[in-house]
Amino acid sequence: MTSPIKPPEGNWWDQTVNRRESIWLGLGVVWSLVLFGWMSIWTRTGDQNPIGETYQVSESEFREKMNAYEEAAEETEQGLVPEGTDVYMAGIRFAWDGAPVVLEAGTQYDFHLSSYDVQHGFSLRPEATLSKQINLQVLPGYEWVVPMTFDEPGTYHIICNEFCGEGHRSMHDTIIVTEEN
Amino acid sequence: MLGLFDNDYGADGFRKCSVTGLQIHESVEKYVKLFALTAIVALLYGGIFAFTVAMTRWEVVGLLGPGDFYTHLSLHAWNLLIFWMIFMEIAILYVGGPMVLGRKLPLERLAQLGWGTMVAGALLVNYAIWTTSAPDQAPLLTSYAPLPSDPLFYGGAIVFLLGATISALPFFATLWFEKRENPDGTLPLVSFGAFVTGIIAVEAIVGGLVAFGYAFAWRIELIGSIDAALYRQLYWIVGHGSQQINLVAMIVVWYFLTHVVGGAEIVSEKVSRTAFILYLFFINLGAAHHLLSDPAVSTGWRIFNTSYAFYGATFASLIHAFAIPAGIEAGRRKRGLGGGLFGWLTSAPWKNPVFSSTIFSIILFGFLGGITGVLMGQLQLNMTWHNTLATVGHFHATVVLGTTVAFMGLSYFVIRTMFMRAFISPKLASIQPYFYAGAMSIATLMLMYVGILYGVPRRTVEVVENIPGTDFSLAAAAPLFNVFGLFALLAILGGVLFLVIAVGSVLFGRKLEPGDNDDLTPDGGLYADGGDPVHTYEMRGTFVLCLIFLGAFVITYVLNWYLLSQLWQIGA
Repeated sequence: MTSPIKPPEGNWWDQTVNRRESIWLGLGVVWSLVLFGWMSIWTRTGDQNPIGETYQVSESEFREKMNAYEEAAEETEQGLVPEGTDVYMAGIRFAWDGAPVVLEAGTQYDFHLSSYDVQHGFSLRPEATLSKQINLQVLPGYEWVVPMTFDEPGTYHIICNEFCGEGHRSMHDTIIVTEEN
Repeated sequence: MLGLFDNDYGADGFRKCSVTGLQIHESVEKYVKLFALTAIVALLYGGIFAFTVAMTRWEVVGLLGPGDFYTHLSLHAWNLLIFWMIFMEIAILYVGGPMVLGRKLPLERLAQLGWGTMVAGALLVNYAIWTTSAPDQAPLLTSYAPLPSDPLFYGGAIVFLLGATISALPFFATLWFEKRENPDGTLPLVSFGAFVTGIIAVEAIVGGLVAFGYAFAWRIELIGSIDAALYRQLYWIVGHGSQQINLVAMIVVWYFLTHVVGGAEIVSEKVSRTAFILYLFFINLGAAHHLLSDPAVSTGWRIFNTSYAFYGATFASLIHAFAIPAGIEAGRRKRGLGGGLFGWLTSAPWKNPVFSSTIFSIILFGFLGGITGVLMGQLQLNMTWHNTLATVGHFHATVVLGTTVAFMGLSYFVIRTMFMRAFISPKLASIQPYFYAGAMSIATLMLMYVGILYGVPRRTVEVVENIPGTDFSLAAAAPLFNVFGLFALLAILGGVLFLVIAVGSVLFGRKLEPGDNDDLTPDGGLYADGGDPVHTYEMRGTFVLCLIFLGAFVITYVLNWYLLSQLWQIGA
């Protein structure tokens, strides 16, 4: 008789483990290795990784970068067309500075994400397929450079998904992705 | 007081429990009841906001505007996720320590002081949330700096954590005295698990004191600025660490209740204890999965903490996933209650709400909470879960379907065996776990679906029907929200039913005599005579169930990765 509310009797460490429990332990180890292995392999071979360079940056420094970027960019009715492949975007209660922005499909852009005030959430999805969505945390004091290549043209919607104050729900903007030239 | 703390104790202050056979001292029982009752008050209070929050997210009803919503959401989070759980966990420490070991509660004054301090902290946090005014914002659970919260909020959180530490001291002292008296003895598994819970709790609390202390110092302008990334890292030591207390305490409760009311045995002390040791070393590192989609921590740090380390804990959970049902299977086969593959399960006391709650907690935690936790704990999959309602679905699967349902079962057990009261309605008590766990499972699944399939964010008032300033909305998710809203209402009704039965029985239930609880023990009494060593009994039913579980795990894993691989190219 074994009981969880009584001290085990005798040499409990050397008690035999049931064969089916041993098999399950083996399966558990294998599955844990698969989980780790796949995640690790995907960082090398996969196309979707939340990985990019990060720099510490003050609010005013990022504002300066943003100003230089916006001056170089072309303003159109649909939004900013960046000069090169760097795209700057900053959360500020309750808007996205740098958006809307017009980008091309098939080109890799470096998104520079930051915040001027509090934490924000950069949640992005194409209008046509809501199940395709990614979510990145945006922190004040940090500039995160995340490369992205859009493969399908269309309107992509940014929703803030980190609570940033009472007007949080209105913090929305767009990225317009045009056909590849 | 209302006869709540009376029982027939002998001259030495001990009584023998007719169900567990434990020698229970008055001092222990008194405080177990006090902490458990306080927890139930927190459940009742926090549960009110479950209604207002769910009915706001169901935009067809759209109960609250943003101002009130964030206040209610904060109250819901703190009273249920923190106060209901931690008061109950202190009660579990006292059960796992002095009660199981048959000792008095040492340092009774500290238990009293700890309880008072925790209550004061909880009241302060509630007061601060209710009275928050600009520039402060409702803290929600996380109080993410640099969005400011009321200084009283940080103060209240610190007071509560100190109170929990003080309350845990009599438990640690019990183990100290026990080991001094029996240096060569081995602790019972439940005490051992409670000890691991206690250590994990201390780690979490230290993190919490540092995180809230840092934010408090910034908020009262002792220091000029606060680093958002550092705060997040510190905060999640307690933010997720406290959830690991819930997890480990829940597993201790699983071992305890399946044994007492289901006749389970321990199929391997070595394996089950090793699993607790793995938790001790690894589970708190898993908290790093909150920072997987963060800019400020390196890739190596993220991968180490959420794979090498986290899978140490995942593996431990896989061990319990087999060991606990196998304990029921072998224990019941030994009693001659298990023909065929699943006879041990079909013959189980399904009408006993203590048993059914425990089993639902095990199954639902594993299938809905555990699997999703590992999925969102993958570096890349996290991008599709982070800050969506799917995350909210995950932690409702763990702390509601898992911990809360287990704690409801424990509450039923405490009512019968410690308050010594009959249920005011045994029939309703039998139905309640089915009703609550069933409705809550569907509501939880809907949260996961709307999060993953439609990217519906958490922590917002409206987004499905309307996003102010644009024509765009997530209207496609509306049908699933209708299902969610309906089943959330039913689940809340199931929660109300629990409170009515629990509070009603404690106050008005028929007083039981020691012989009246014989129906709780497994057929043939708690301790079966003779039989072979437990590991020699068949565990093939459990093996089949575990293979089904692994199959579900693999399928959801593949589906999540498929969805992710459909995205555009992101990241270096």
